[in-house]
Amino acid sequence: MTLVHNWHLGRTMEYPYFESRPKQQFAAVFNINRCIACQTCTMAHKSTWTYSKGQEYMWWNNVETKPYGGYPQFWDHKILQLLWDNGNNPMEWYTSAEDMDEKKAPYGLYNGDTIFELAKTKGLNQMAVGYIPDDKEWRFPNIYEDTAASEKINYETEAAKESSELPEHKRWFFYLQRICNHCTYPACLAACPRKAIYKRKEDGIVLIDQKRCRGYRKCVEQCPYKKPMYRGETRISEKCIACYPRIEGKDPITKGRRMEARCMAACVGKIRLNGLLTGDYKNPDPKNPMDWLIHIHKVALPLYPQFGTEPNVYYIPPRWAPRGYLRQMFGPGVDEALDKYAAPSRELMAVLQLFRTTQTMLSRFEIEDGEKIYESEVMGKKVEVYNDTVIGYASDGTEMVRIKVEEPTWESDEKRMITY
Amino acid sequence: MLKKLLWKSVIIVSVSVPLLLNYSGIILSQGLEKEASVEENIPTKEPLVVKYIDSDLNSADKAFEQVDPLKIELQMQDLAFPNGGGSVKELEVRGFHNGETIFFNLRWNDVTKDERAITHEQFRDAVGMMFPLEIVTISPETPFSPRMGDRGKPVNIWHWKADWEKELHVAGGFEHMEDEYPDMWHDFDFDPHPDYFNKRVHESIPLMAGGIATGTLLSKARGRSVEDLNAIGFGTLTSQAHQDVKGKGAWKNGKWDVVVYRPLITPDENDAQFVPGMETFFNVAVWNGVEGDRNGQKNISIRWRPLKIEIVKYKE
Ligand code: SF4
Ligand code: SF4
Repeated sequence: MTLVHNWHLGRTMEYPYFESRPKQQFAAVFNINRCIACQTCTMAHKSTWTYSKGQEYMWWNNVETKPYGGYPQFWDHKILQLLWDNGNNPMEWYTSAEDMDEKKAPYGLYNGDTIFELAKTKGLNQMAVGYIPDDKEWRFPNIYEDTAASEKINYETEAAKESSELPEHKRWFFYLQRICNHCTYPACLAACPRKAIYKRKEDGIVLIDQKRCRGYRKCVEQCPYKKPMYRGETRISEKCIACYPRIEGKDPITKGRRMEARCMAACVGKIRLNGLLTGDYKNPDPKNPMDWLIHIHKVALPLYPQFGTEPNVYYIPPRWAPRGYLRQMFGPGVDEALDKYAAPSRELMAVLQLFRTTQTMLSRFEIEDGEKIYESEVMGKKVEVYNDTVIGYASDGTEMVRIKVEEPTWESDEKRMITY
Repeated sequence: MLKKLLWKSVIIVSVSVPLLLNYSGIILSQGLEKEASVEENIPTKEPLVVKYIDSDLNSADKAFEQVDPLKIELQMQDLAFPNGGGSVKELEVRGFHNGETIFFNLRWNDVTKDERAITHEQFRDAVGMMFPLEIVTISPETPFSPRMGDRGKPVNIWHWKADWEKELHVAGGFEHMEDEYPDMWHDFDFDPHPDYFNKRVHESIPLMAGGIATGTLLSKARGRSVEDLNAIGFGTLTSQAHQDVKGKGAWKNGKWDVVVYRPLITPDENDAQFVPGMETFFNVAVWNGVEGDRNGQKNISIRWRPLKIEIVKYKE
């Protein structure tokens, strides 16, 4: 093993290969608060990549209801339990001032074993702790859809009166959108004894070489997010390919410019923004929407950072879910992220407008000031809304989108209001 | 023109730097493997004698009765990640040749027959034989890994697979999803003619599969049960463009009985060549599917065995 820096954990960690970051990193921000679980993303994925034989059970994109739902069933419960290791690995975070570092440890310091470190601590004969989900676990991708967790789930007790009060609902669920995280330190890649999995230097996309794969299912076993899948029909494994032809700009629609992945571009709830992070995480570009949301404003957080793979899909956590649960899922950055999201700054309000306005990947944004249109108070904090204009540019500098904070409204002609 | 070339060289250099980094990563990860013991470079004394017997595949069983078996003790693979195995303790090998073809017989105990690898939890039974690609001397002074060969020390591997064997006997030479899931066309479907409809939808679109596009032998009917491969160390196993080895295996009463055979000499430079009268080495490994054995999770012998190929005895 070598020592590599994982900025999600705020420390170096053990990994079987040297730190070798890509020039740019495929990334996405998912705003959980806005997802309506329409599964359009899931179907966009399915009809593009996994519609043929042996892929019936494969959903490279899936949306599951938390806390009970999961595809494969209970994947996160199972990994957390493995990582918990009967309490020997409590997965704590240190968040005092000296444990934080603006660039190298923005969320604090993780003081526990990652999936790689635990495998070593326990002397396992593999790179990371993990398991292979069986047939039944893959079978119901949307099991427990809309099933809420409640403090008072027992019928004998009275229903919680305040169940829908913020900051935390007593009865809650939320949708978690999941694709392969194209991790900086992929466990799938570490696990593969054939080195059939590689991470592209140009955009950080993680792929399984279909020629080298021999169907050993080591990636299926050791990816904590359970995103590589074994295809019985061809006896080898497949995984999300980040729609790389689109990312490369091969689709003629965007005229050679990078294009968002299918699941991103299809999102009805406008919760997704897909782009490339600057490779050097210590020097984020304040004008790149990905860098800004993730590194600078820190409103979007990695999923289960304690696993140690440095995943690259970032989530704006749901406002209403219990903080303890969210901290377990997104790390200690949750409180800051939610403070910022609940009472958004002028800049955040503008950047959030960029979500799902164009298929072209945006690599730069500018904001033009507008007049103040609204003022309010959210949980004791003053919120002012300005009708600013946000402009998104493709990497070649072309202006792709120009949108105002206040949505234009239309009043229909009276003649069209006839009721029969 | 010159300018273009110059640019190219700049690109090549900038590409090779990350490549170099990548490679150092690979080398480093291999540094993880435990050092092999000196003993591993001392082949055992007792050889397997491949007798000359004027026989062929059809009467191979009788021929094998005439030769003494070499019993090889197996152990878990404990050097390279991922480790594993240990459930199969012994393998019996016999060999003969008829002047044209070399036959090996491999027998081992396995209470379960695992001859399918379609669901996530299914792993196949398999057996492998390995030969140095070239004529070599093996000693502590001239080491040669008895595991997967090494850089500059290529090996030729013959890998018999139980599912490939079974597929030799099914229609089309390949098992599909519907063989594992016979109800797949109408599960969860309340249409009165689901079978017909779903099947037709499935069959009306071409199968989109990386495995098929890249032509890997695992993903298609290949008409043989043994894969012909090369390796130069852990993680380097590569299937050959020319497949020359065949096999025949059967499981009975808790025992696999497998024959693998190939012409003594082939025109393929990636194949080990067997000239009657010569001496070389071989090693073996067994995979027990029910235990989840695959790749480095296997039952191995950690010493090379001498292999003596008898000269052809012409009848007067
Ligand atoms: S999410 Fe899993 S499959 Fe995707 S890169 Fe990370 S470890 Fe690999
Ligand atoms: S398309 Fe968007 S809104 Fe619909 S389920 Fe997917 S992420 Fe949620």
